[in-house]
Amino acid sequence: MAALRSTSTRALLASARPSSLRIAAAGPIRGFAQLADGAQQSNVAAGDQPAAKLKTFQIYRWNPDQPTEKPRMQSYTLDLNKTGPMVLDALIRIKNELDPTLTFRRSCREGICGSCAMNINGTNTLACLCRIPNEDSSEMKIYPLPHTYVVKDLVPDLTQFYKQYKSIKPYLQRDTPSPDGKEYRQTKEDRKKLDGLYECILCACCSTSCPSYWWNSEEYLGPAILLQSYRWIVDSRDERTAQRKDALNNSMSLYRCHTILNCTRTCPKGLNPGLAIAKIKKEMAFS
Amino acid sequence: MRLSGLQKEILSLYRQCLRACRSKPEAKQAHFRSFARNEFNKNMGIDKRDFGAIEFLLRKGRRQLEMYSSPGVKDIKSQ
Amino acid sequence: MASIARSALLRQVATAGPVPRQVIASSSRALPVATFHTSARRNLLPPLPQKVEGTVNDPAPVPEPSPSHGSYHWTFDRLVAASLIPLTVTPFAAGSLNPTLDALLCATILIHSHTGFQSIIIDYVPTWRMPRVRKLFNWGLKAATAVVGLALYEFETTDVGLVETVKRVWTA
Repeated sequence: MAALRSTSTRALLASARPSSLRIAAAGPIRGFAQLADGAQQSNVAAGDQPAAKLKTFQIYRWNPDQPTEKPRMQSYTLDLNKTGPMVLDALIRIKNELDPTLTFRRSCREGICGSCAMNINGTNTLACLCRIPNEDSSEMKIYPLPHTYVVKDLVPDLTQFYKQYKSIKPYLQRDTPSPDGKEYRQTKEDRKKLDGLYECILCACCSTSCPSYWWNSEEYLGPAILLQSYRWIVDSRDERTAQRKDALNNSMSLYRCHTILNCTRTCPKGLNPGLAIAKIKKEMAFS
Repeated sequence: MRLSGLQKEILSLYRQCLRACRSKPEAKQAHFRSFARNEFNKNMGIDKRDFGAIEFLLRKGRRQLEMYSSPGVKDIKSQ
Repeated sequence: MASIARSALLRQVATAGPVPRQVIASSSRALPVATFHTSARRNLLPPLPQKVEGTVNDPAPVPEPSPSHGSYHWTFDRLVAASLIPLTVTPFAAGSLNPTLDALLCATILIHSHTGFQSIIIDYVPTWRMPRVRKLFNWGLKAATAVVGLALYEFETTDVGLVETVKRVWTA
């Protein structure tokens, strides 16, 4: 669905409400590594040593083994010439070389698993998709996802998030078998409706950037879960659409969304949870 | 003495722990009981106004209780 | 209700914010709080200790469907908000001072602000945390709406009416 990923809407939003969106103020550039980076690094390996490009990372530290100690910010300085281009590379290097006690979640290092979601320079994003800005020498500040209970350092407790995900029954519910006894088939148009929804990796970046979710995470489902809910509501193969909608039809689960659109702004995968929520509301209004 | 909400929650967690011990095999119940006591004793010294720390320990305690009360756990060693 | 039993001030003194549900750590080495906060920090309704309903593997409870608080409410809300646009523009465009239209405008504004305040209350006074305060706020809102409604009625029937007032203030 092209509209879900429309960059023009995002640009419009960015220009229309710069002050109200506190998250993602002067956010780092997000993007995938390019070939040029690799070439540059092989040069470094070949021998000509360029001047050290030092960068300081301020990282949130809190150790559960000493619960009475307050959380603190710890600074680490790295030479960017010897580090990969992404924040996750820097974190891994800090853990390997400077401080093995630094704790964070990571797995795929390519934006598919959603483990390394954290708050980098004020933006919720995946550390593996967030470039270290080369041009400015200011410090980078790295926090765990906001308004989560912290397990340790950069590891947030996502129990409630996963429990809510479970509550929307994120699986195909069907009673009638498929006509040919094989797969459940779908037209191309129906499949297209899932584009921009199925890509969600549940990294919780959007939910933890939503002020409504900060306030009411006990009852409000939050953008990520609602996007997933919509993914099952529009699925043409699913036969429990009415029940799914009924589950959202109360004052808390869905309607605490006030279209703040922090979710759309922060999504590291470029999806649009805000639009998905608006579509659920529209479907519920006319059914 | 009137107890604060947090103190009540801790006492109720302790009670839950002792109750959970009873569902364990008879011979090992003492182990579980001493483990629970030990866990609580470890943090006796925490300042009663350090709510953040107490709340964290309460969370951790609940998680531990949930984990150790599953029937798969047959014995425990307290350190 | 652990938080109510606990003095908010005491809490503020004792917790600079460990186990942060807020991201800002206030230790001596932390960056100044002011970089994040443009307004003063007030610990209204501090976060409670985490409470997991059931085990971690149980789904979160799904509330009973109630369309009158959900979809109907939302649709009604939007319809009222949309109908306010022509109702506000008409007196300016046509310059008419039809008392019926004026009354309709008043009623719509009243309903619109009522639902608006209601949604603020739902947001910031959660039932699960303080059911009594929520009730108090709800009744307070109802009373306020009733008073404003009565006042508007009086104003419409005995005085010049809303549109005319705006007109006079505008040209005054």
